[in-house]
Amino acid sequence: MKPRKSSLTLTRRRLIQAAAATGVAGMVGPRAAHAAGRCVVGTWGGDYQNLIQKNIVPLMPKDIEVVYDTGNDSPRKTKMLAEKPLPRGTMDISALSRAGSYEMYKAGTLLEIDFGKIPNSKNILEKVRVPYAIPHIYSGRVILYNPKFITEKPTSYNDLWNPKYKSKIGVIDIQYQTTIESAAMIAGGSMSNYEPGKAKLMELKKLDVKVVPTNEAMSQALKTEDIWMCIMWKARGVMWQNAGVPIEIAAPKEGVVLYVSDFTIPKNSPNKESAYAFMDAMLNPKAQEGFIDDMGYNPTVENVELASATAKRVGFTKEEAANLVLQDYDYLAKNDAQLKEWWDKEFKA
Amino acid sequence: MRTTTGFPRVTAAAMVGPATVVVVLLLVLPLMLLLRYSLNRFIPGQFMVEALTAENYVKVFADPYYRNVLFLTAGIAALCTLLCLLIAYPAAYLLARTRSRYKSWLILLVVMPLFVGNAVRAAGWIVVFGQRGAFNAALQWLGIVNAPLEIMYTPLAVIVAITGFNLPFMVLTLQSVLEGIDPALEEAALGMGAPPMTAFRKVTLPLSLPGVVAGSMLCFILAMNAYATPVLLGGPRFQMMAPLVYTQISEQANWPLGGALAFVLMIATLLLTVGANTLVQRRYRRRGVL
Repeated sequence: MKPRKSSLTLTRRRLIQAAAATGVAGMVGPRAAHAAGRCVVGTWGGDYQNLIQKNIVPLMPKDIEVVYDTGNDSPRKTKMLAEKPLPRGTMDISALSRAGSYEMYKAGTLLEIDFGKIPNSKNILEKVRVPYAIPHIYSGRVILYNPKFITEKPTSYNDLWNPKYKSKIGVIDIQYQTTIESAAMIAGGSMSNYEPGKAKLMELKKLDVKVVPTNEAMSQALKTEDIWMCIMWKARGVMWQNAGVPIEIAAPKEGVVLYVSDFTIPKNSPNKESAYAFMDAMLNPKAQEGFIDDMGYNPTVENVELASATAKRVGFTKEEAANLVLQDYDYLAKNDAQLKEWWDKEFKA
Repeated sequence: MRTTTGFPRVTAAAMVGPATVVVVLLLVLPLMLLLRYSLNRFIPGQFMVEALTAENYVKVFADPYYRNVLFLTAGIAALCTLLCLLIAYPAAYLLARTRSRYKSWLILLVVMPLFVGNAVRAAGWIVVFGQRGAFNAALQWLGIVNAPLEIMYTPLAVIVAITGFNLPFMVLTLQSVLEGIDPALEEAALGMGAPPMTAFRKVTLPLSLPGVVAGSMLCFILAMNAYATPVLLGGPRFQMMAPLVYTQISEQANWPLGGALAFVLMIATLLLTVGANTLVQRRYRRRGVL
C-alpha cells in the first residue's frame, strides 16, 4: 500500500504554490484594500498644497486618505501624457491652469466630469464652467504699479510702453504667454492671434524692459523699487500688498483676462470615487472661503459670502466684471511652443 | 580556473556584475530610450508623434540659437576649468608639500564645501551677489563704488559660482598626483642651478600632468552639465545647455528636441574631453614626459 501524503507534508509543488499565493496576496491585498480610500492629488507645492490640506481635506469623508504628488504643472502635464497608455495612472486629481486642462482634454487624457456625482457643482459660475474640469479659483490680469513713481493711475497696457518709465518696467519670464497676449491686446491682436504682440514687445525691449525669472522675483523687485510697473494676476497683487509691497492695482481698459485654476480627473485615475469626493469638498463654500483670504483668489461658486476685507479687494467692480475676457485655449494649445521659442530666441536674446 | 590576479574567474564576474547591472538598468537603458525619443516628431497639442527623423538634430545645429547656447556652454566650461586650474594648482602644491600637523584639517577644509548641495550654495551666492548683497555692501562701505554693481543674472555670477563649485575637485585631484612626485627631483633641479620657475616648468609641471588632465576633465564635464548655478544665478536671459534640456522636456513637453539636445550635449562633452586629453598626451609623449 502506497503511503498517503499527509496534508501537512511540504512537497516542492505546494511550497511553490504557497510562495506564489503569499506573493500575490502581498502585492494585491493591501493595495486593493487601500485603493477605495485613497486620493492622489497632483498639485503645486508650498502654500497651495498647505491650503488644500487645511481647507479641503477636512471636508472629505474621513476614510479617504489624501496623498500629494507635488510639482509644477508642466511636468504634471508631461506625466499625464506619458501615462496615457497605462490602464492605471498615478494621479486621481491633477491641478492645472485652464489652458493646461484644455490641452490635456484635447490630448485625450481627461475624464468628462459626471456632474451628478458632485452635488456642489450646481453652484459653479457659468462663466468658468466646462465639461472636462472643475474650476477651483480664479483671478484676472491687471497692472500693478508703484504710486510713488507712477503718479497717474494706468488705464491701459499701453501705459507700460511710456518712455518716461524706461528701464523701470518689468516682465516675468515664466509669464511669457500672458505678456505676449497683453501686448497683442494693444497692437491689433486678439485672443486668437498673439502675433502683433511680438513687434510691440520688441518696442518694450528697446525701452530696456527688465526680465525677472519668477513671480517671487518680481515681488522682490517691486519691493526694492527696481521695477515700478508690471502685469500680474490681481490675486498676487493683493497678496503682495498684504506683504507690504508698495503697489496699487489698475484694471486695463482692454479687458481683464481671466486666470482659472482647475482640478481635473485623469481617465486612468485608479480611485475615481475618491476624486469625485475631493471635487465636492473643494466646491464647498467653506473650502472656497479659505482660498480667498489666504491666496487672494475669487471663488468659482456663487454661494460664497464675500464678507472679509480681503474678499472685497480681490473681487472686480461691475465695469471690470462686464469686461472679463476668457483666453482662446485652443489657440494657446497650438501656439504655446512657438510663442515660447520666440520669447527665448528673439525677445530675451 | 584562476585569473592572473589569483581570483577565481567566477568571483571577478560577481564583483563586476552588480555594478554592470546598475549601470545598464539606470544609465544605458534610459539613454537608449531617450535616443529613440530624439528621433520622434513633436507636434504642438499632440505631444510626441512616433517617427524616425533627424529633424531635431538638424534643428540643434542649423538654428543659430541652439548653436550659440552650445558654444556658450563650452566656452563657459573651458573658462571655468582654466580658472580652477590656476587657482587650485598653488593650493594643491602647498597641500602636497606641507609637513604641517594640520594637513588633514586643511584637506577637510577643501572638502567642506562639498558637504553643502549645489542649489544651496547657489542660494548663498544670491545673498552675496544681490544689489543689496554682502559683496555690494562691502564695496560701497569701502567707498570703491557709489552705486551697487549688477552681478546677479550676469555671466560673471555664473562663472564665479561654477568655478567655486568645481574648485575642490581640482584641488583634490592635483594634490593626490603632486603627493606622488618625489620632492628630490625638484630639489635636484634647483641644486643644479635651475631657477625655481624653470624647475617647476621643466620638472614638477610635466610630472603632474596626469593630475592636470584628470582634474580638468572632471571640472570641464561638471561645468558643461551645470544646471542649478546657471538657472539661479544666470537669470532668464542667460542660457546654458542643461537648463535648456530641462525646459524642453519638462516645461514644453518637447521630448524629441529635449532628447536631441541631451545627446548633442553628451557627445560634445565627450568629444571635447577626449580630444583635449589626446592632444595633451600626444604632445607630452613626444617629449617623453608621459
